[in-house]
Amino acid sequence: MMDAEYIARLDRVSRVYYQGRVEVRAVDNLDLLIRPGEFSALSGPSGSGKTTILNMIGALDMPTSGTVYLEGRDLTRLGRGELSRLRRDRVGFVFQAYNLVPVLTAYENAEFVLALQNVPVQERRDRVMAVLEEVGMAGYVNRRPDELSGGQQQRIAIARAVVSDPAIVLADEPTANVDLEAANTILDLMEDLNARKGVTFLFSTHDRLVMDRARRLVKLRDGRLEDDNQAA
Amino acid sequence: MQLLSLALKNVLRYRHRTWVTVLAMAFAGAIMIFYAGLFEGWMGAMETNAVSMEMGEMQIHAQGYRDDPDLYTVIPDYRRVIRQAENSGLIASPRLLGGGLAAAHENSTGVSIRGIDPRAEEQVVLLQNHVFSGSWLSATDAKQVVLGYQLARILDVRPGSEIVLVAQAADGSMANDLFTVQGVLKSVGQGIDRGGLIMGDRDFREFFALPEGVHEIVMKRADNGVLLEQATKKIAELVPDLEVNSWRELQPTLARLLDLSDVSMIIMLLIIYAAVGMLTMNAMLMGVFERIPVFGVMKAVGFSGCRLFGLIFSETLLLVTMAAVLSLALGVPLSYYFERHPIDFSFLLPESSTIAGIAFEPQWYCRVTAGSVVMPVVFLYIVALLAVLYPAWKAAVISPVKAIHHI
Repeated sequence: MMDAEYIARLDRVSRVYYQGRVEVRAVDNLDLLIRPGEFSALSGPSGSGKTTILNMIGALDMPTSGTVYLEGRDLTRLGRGELSRLRRDRVGFVFQAYNLVPVLTAYENAEFVLALQNVPVQERRDRVMAVLEEVGMAGYVNRRPDELSGGQQQRIAIARAVVSDPAIVLADEPTANVDLEAANTILDLMEDLNARKGVTFLFSTHDRLVMDRARRLVKLRDGRLEDDNQAA
Repeated sequence: MQLLSLALKNVLRYRHRTWVTVLAMAFAGAIMIFYAGLFEGWMGAMETNAVSMEMGEMQIHAQGYRDDPDLYTVIPDYRRVIRQAENSGLIASPRLLGGGLAAAHENSTGVSIRGIDPRAEEQVVLLQNHVFSGSWLSATDAKQVVLGYQLARILDVRPGSEIVLVAQAADGSMANDLFTVQGVLKSVGQGIDRGGLIMGDRDFREFFALPEGVHEIVMKRADNGVLLEQATKKIAELVPDLEVNSWRELQPTLARLLDLSDVSMIIMLLIIYAAVGMLTMNAMLMGVFERIPVFGVMKAVGFSGCRLFGLIFSETLLLVTMAAVLSLALGVPLSYYFERHPIDFSFLLPESSTIAGIAFEPQWYCRVTAGSVVMPVVFLYIVALLAVLYPAWKAAVISPVKAIHHI
């Protein structure tokens, strides 16, 4: 199997937590491939392992056993610094609760990752303004998160996630905290970025709206694959 | 993004926490600057009273005089010694020392009699500035004496009173004479207070029938830039047959006390700043805990643990800088005010009093020095930056997954 064909690959991955002395198997011996340009969703009941899978692909969490590859790199073999740089350069995150940095303006939040990458100021400005234009937030550059609605904050979060041209954008329940109209806007936006720029999206969701619009739906139950409508 | 810029945004954004922390640190800093000024003033007064008041910075005696003070153990060619001292950058004053019995009215007591050249003495010590009543000796006065404060009370005399002095003269005869009290000194030290009687050198020589020699030469440096040890060594080499001692050798306990004063101040600083450190650590820990989800997201998008550590550290650096500026703005003017307007304890101690044999005025002055200002500020920085290590480390090792979902 060629790594170039896959953005992310999980090989026989298990993730076990302990709640006190109780073992919780969040992901159980799972194989999963995510291809470039996919617009996919992980669905399943709470505790089925959706977020854990996103966290492992995003190098935020490590499997108890098995291997996670991102663009061909075995994440289990990387150190903290390398993982941090990998997240910065190759992964975009969109969180359920928006999770913008409250002291920064919309512009600064969108700029945050590029600043960490030491992108030159002028290039940074051009790229940030371009992406804010794309997400329809160019008129809100000086607003701080507490001056924006939930939907607007999520659009800034999407701008932050895609501005550095990551290999994959991982969105954990991105529509959970917004109303239907805002959810549709956000999904339109992501679909558009996926279609025009080929940005790979992987969602975890409970939301029927997201499941309906995802081109690939991976259903999970008890940390195992229950169904994959595009399984090879 | 520059850490300091982000730190500044955080500091400005969380205003309530910022002000509580800054004001607490600034208050402690200002108090410590003031305290250090008072402490410097206290130690300075102690050194001045003990050294500049009457002991001088250095003294020369004939060999053996200090171990066994004797009227006959004199420095014979003292004028040559004084010239050598003056050529070595010192200011010198000769003294004659003897003992006797003073009586007035129905009272009598033993006294230490000191014969001085008033003009030379004024150049070396400050005793003449501490006259409680009457006036200091002048070079032309004859048969006039100045007494210690307690001695005047024991004899029940005041300026203008007459006292009788009796002593054994150098020629073996019984010396006795009538003197007039010219002045009474303030409390300047236990020795002088209880038994000090000062007269002109001519009167002393006549009274004790001691035509030549002196018992003691007190000196001070003309240029304070010259080290005391260096000046002492230099004059000692010029007069190898005499005993030369600096005030540190003459008053080793006081010298040690003054040396330890910095240690005492550091201990005091540590005690107060330990409380400031706890407060800073608590404030910064709260600051970390309330921002755990934000830190989690920052780490998730590639903000490293080291940077996060640096961010918290930078925030504290900004807070402590604000506190330092405020504490200087409060503490320095306060100290300067009390440098000019001393705290007056005269309602408790109407006269100057002695502690461990050293006199203290009832007015307590602040003394603003570089040390009294810089040391508290440096300590403020050290303590605050040490206190923030733990919160910064906590932030640096936060697991992004746990942090993002932290409630």
